Parts: sequence; C-alpha cells; structure tokens
Amino acid sequence: MYGFAVALTWKNLAFAFAGVLLGTLVGVLPGIGPAAAISLLLPSTFHADPIASMIMLCGLYYGTMYGGSTTSILVNIPGEAASIVTCFDGYQMARRGRAGPALGIAAFGSFIAGTIAVVGLMFLAPTLASFALKFGSPEYFSLMVMSMALVTYLSQRSILKGIMMAALGLVLSAVGLDPVTAKLRFTYDVLVLRDGLGIVPVVMGLFGVSEVLLNVGVRIDREVFKTKIKSLFPTRRDWKDSSMPIVRGSFLGFFLGIIPGIGTIIPTFMSYGLEKRLSKHPEQFGTGRIEGLAGPEACNNSAATGNFVPMLSLGIPANAITAILLGALTIYGLQPGPLLIREHPDLFWGVIASMYIGNAMLLVLNLPLIPLWVQILRVPYMILYPLILLFCLIGAYSLNNNVGDVIIMGIFGVVGFLMKKFQFEPAPLVLALVLGPMLEENLRQSLLISGGSFATFLTRPLSAFFLIVSLAILFLPLFRSRSFARGER
Amino acid sequence: MMSKTDRWIGLFFALFSTYVCAESLRLGLGTFYRPGPGFMPFYAGIVLGVLSLALVSLGFFRNPEEGASWECWGRILLVVLALFGFMLLLERLGFLPSAFLFICFVLKVVERRGWGFSVGVALLVAVASYVVFDLLLKAQLPAGLLER
Repeated sequence: MYGFAVALTWKNLAFAFAGVLLGTLVGVLPGIGPAAAISLLLPSTFHADPIASMIMLCGLYYGTMYGGSTTSILVNIPGEAASIVTCFDGYQMARRGRAGPALGIAAFGSFIAGTIAVVGLMFLAPTLASFALKFGSPEYFSLMVMSMALVTYLSQRSILKGIMMAALGLVLSAVGLDPVTAKLRFTYDVLVLRDGLGIVPVVMGLFGVSEVLLNVGVRIDREVFKTKIKSLFPTRRDWKDSSMPIVRGSFLGFFLGIIPGIGTIIPTFMSYGLEKRLSKHPEQFGTGRIEGLAGPEACNNSAATGNFVPMLSLGIPANAITAILLGALTIYGLQPGPLLIREHPDLFWGVIASMYIGNAMLLVLNLPLIPLWVQILRVPYMILYPLILLFCLIGAYSLNNNVGDVIIMGIFGVVGFLMKKFQFEPAPLVLALVLGPMLEENLRQSLLISGGSFATFLTRPLSAFFLIVSLAILFLPLFRSRSFARGER
Repeated sequence: MMSKTDRWIGLFFALFSTYVCAESLRLGLGTFYRPGPGFMPFYAGIVLGVLSLALVSLGFFRNPEEGASWECWGRILLVVLALFGFMLLLERLGFLPSAFLFICFVLKVVERRGWGFSVGVALLVAVASYVVFDLLLKAQLPAGLLER
C-alpha cells in the first residue's frame, strides 16, 4: 500500500508511462534492445530523483518485452532477443490472417504473467534478502559460479564454446584497476580502460551493433501485413488453448528469471520446448500453434520481472540489463545488496507498485497503438538501421562523455558480429564480465578468511551445493552423449 | 557445431590465453592466502587455453560442417568503417557534422540511394537527434567546430 502511495504521484506516473511507451517502441524496433535503450536514457535520468528514474528504467525493460512481440508476429524479426521464439508461431499465425488474435493473446498473456510475477516479486524479494544476509563470501562466489554454469549449459550452441566465452569474460572483467592492490591490469596506458571495459558499451556492441551488422548483410524480406488487423480479441477457442500455456509460462519464467544468470532469452526457449512437449500436436509447432506463442510470451514478461528479484534482494544481476540497472543505482548513490530493501523501502515498494501500474498501462497502450507500431515498421530498414546505430553511438558517448566508450562499443560490435557468425554465444561472456569483479572479490575474501584453503567452498553446505550443481550441469552432457562439444540437442 | 574456421579460432584463443597467462604472471599471482592481481585472469586464461586446444583438435579430428555464410560482407565492412569514422571525427568536428556525414555515407555509399535523399535524411536526422539528445535530454554532445 505504501508502494502505491509512492507510485501514484503524478511525477512517478509520468515517468512510468514514459518508460513503458519508450520500452514498447524500443521493443518494436529491431536492432535496438533494452540494454541500448536504457543506456541511452541513463544520462537524462541523472536530473531526476532515483525512484522516478528506476521506475522509468524498469518500465522500459518490461515494455520492451511487450514491444518485441509485435514485430516478431508482424514481420518475423524479433524486436529484441527474447522475442525470437515468438517469431516461430506468431508470424505463421499472422500469415494465416490471424495477426489480430496473435497480438491479442501476446498482450493479454504478458499482462497476466506480469501481474503474477509482480506478486511473486513482492513476496519473494524481501524473504530472499533476509535469507541472503546470512550468505558469506563463499556462498556468493559459488552462487555466481552456478549462474555462469547455468547460462553456459543453456547456451544454444556448444558448451565447450560457452565455457570458453565465460573464461574470456572473466579475463576481460579483470581489465582496469585491481580493487585490492590498485595495480593496473591490461590497461597499457589507455585512460578509458582504467575503470574497466564498462558493461554498457560492451553490451551495446555485442547485442546492439552486432545485430544491426548482421541485418545489413541479409536481404530482409519484410512483408509487413497489409491486410487489416481485424479483431484483436482472441476467440474462446484461443483462450482455451492458451490459458494453461500462459499459466505455465508465467511460473516457469518467474522462477527461472529469479536465478541469477538466466535472463529472459533462456526461459522463453524453455517454455517453447515445454509447450511443444506437452502439446497433443507437437508436429504443428512452427506452423501457427497459439500455444507456441502464448507460453513464451507470458514467460518472457514474468522472467523480466523475476530478474528483479536477485537484483533488488541480493544485489546480483540476473542478466546484462539488470546489471546496467544496478549500475544506475550506484550512480544515484544507493548501495545494492540485501540491505537495499530495508534501507530504501520507498524505492523497492515504489518500483513494485509501478510495475502493477506499468503492466496495466502496457495492456491499454499495446492494443490501440498497434497500427502506429505497424507504421513504424513500414519505415524501410535501410533508414532505420543507420538511426539505430546513431542512437547507439550517442548512448555510448553520453555514458561518460568519452569517445573511448564509443570505440569499445564499436570493437565489441565487430566482435559480437564475428561471434555470431562463428557460433559463439555472447551470453556467457556478458555474464562473466558482469559477475567477474564480484566473483573475484568474494573469492579473495573467502580465501583470506579461510587462510588460503579452498576447502571452505566445500565445507560450507550451501556453497558446496552450488558448486556441485555447477559441475553436474557442465559435465553431465559429457557422460550422456558425445554431443558435449558439438552442441547438438 | 564445429566448422573449419574453429581450428583457427581455437588457435587464436590459445595464443591469446598464453599472452593473458604471461601477463598475469607478471602482475603477480600472490599466494592462495592473499591472491594477487594476476590470480583470477591467470586461471581463467588457463581454462580458456585448454579449451581452445580442445577446440582445435576437435576441428581437426571431427568432420567439420560448413562455415558461416558471408553475403554482403563488403557492405558490412563499409558500415564498420563508417562507425569508426564517426568515432574519430566526433570530438574534432562535433556531433552535428559527424552525425550528418555518418548517415549520409551509409545512405549514399552503402545503401546506394540518391544524393538528394541521403543529404535530406541525414540533415533531418542529425538535427532531430541533436534537439532530442543534446537539448532535451542534456546528453552534452561535443560541439567541435561549432563551439563558440
């Protein structure tokens, strides 16, 4: 209730609205994702108070989940990574003239999932925070190792390559000033590297710029539907077919989204796989089954909300985007971690309440504004992508008013492009880059406390549990089949 | 999914990890009780190195599949050049001229549109971005040549 008092001020409502509107727009535009959008808007939030800024940035994040589904269904181009799965069946439904119900189910499903997830967040985050106050450095270290192992395992491609990327991410996270000894590592007198590579330029490059570069190289046949989108309301049959997938997607997304390292992409793929497995007509998936759309759509929204649980309660980012949001909190002078909820209840409850409001706003926004989004999509990609690149360039520059960040983004844009061409997954790299400094800090503290003994990670039960799970995840496929390195499933 | 290029990529990473480990040793590994600055990068480098060698050997001993397709690599290269050109010119010329040149280049050279279209759109976009990001959102973009 206190949260609603915070969220329902005109100022915070305006920020929430701006966030969800921009988020939907960003989600609709292919080639620019939530990470790029958040970093573009960050500098403008420095003038506002932390609560309003967080409300806007959070709104932007889950707004992109809504927006992404629109382009996936209408144009078969995912507006952002988590909407890839929506393309499979959503676009096929549109081709059969069922774009309206597809969009409708995506919107309603997302709303239901978002609401369920916010309730979960409300109860879980404070509980988890109090539990986490009992965590020591070994537990944090092992939890982070487990997150990275999970992300690597769940890579779509080869686990071998995934672990390589995670290791590379750890190396890259060491660039900059060593916090303990203040020695410069891998900087070679380049000033911009003193503070490290910076998550935002790297992520913008790896996910934003590289995606655009990939699309430049491909002739996109953008058949945006000229047929009128008649009714946006799904039929009764659609509801009947979609209700269980929505519920399953919501819970799957939320609980997976809580686990640090999972993000939103992985749960949506898992939801699709689950619905296909449970369906009476799995062979029809990919031709326009509404379950293949409803489940993943619900899943990506609830996962996005679930991502906030570890971020707000433990100070651990679930993915690159929540890592950026955490960075934003420190810029505002707030200390993320288990004490955040206790010391800044107005921020926590205000953000929660605005999520309820934001979900409702999105439902109301999404459906009537679809014709507008369709118009935007009609802008030829050849005009869109230079714009998107320009926004990325501006965003990277405005982080620190430094060209160095833009160069880093450019370099990682090329790296990301090459990675995708050669089938190396960027997610483990980003996770390792984000978690690297905290991982190292907790490792060093654990070893200091234990007197140099690694046994501390195994003698403490929770830490041992996390580590055993990590090893099991990574090495199980090795025993199960020869597909460990090939990445076949 | 192994492709022929994986052998070379594996080799590249193996060399890279050798460099990382050497540099980490120079920084100092410290002791297990007090890990030094080179501790984590060293062990991460070892993991990377071992796996890279595994990748190389798998690339040789297994039947590799076809590699990536490289359509339109020329255009992609041009876009990358445009990006880096923008970065180099940004602080010297300022945001407006750099943005204008960037968009104009991409539309005219990469997408092969006409002069009128390219110049017109580039001007519109550069000015609009300036208004939105610099004036409204206070992003403090460099003024460069236009500094008074």
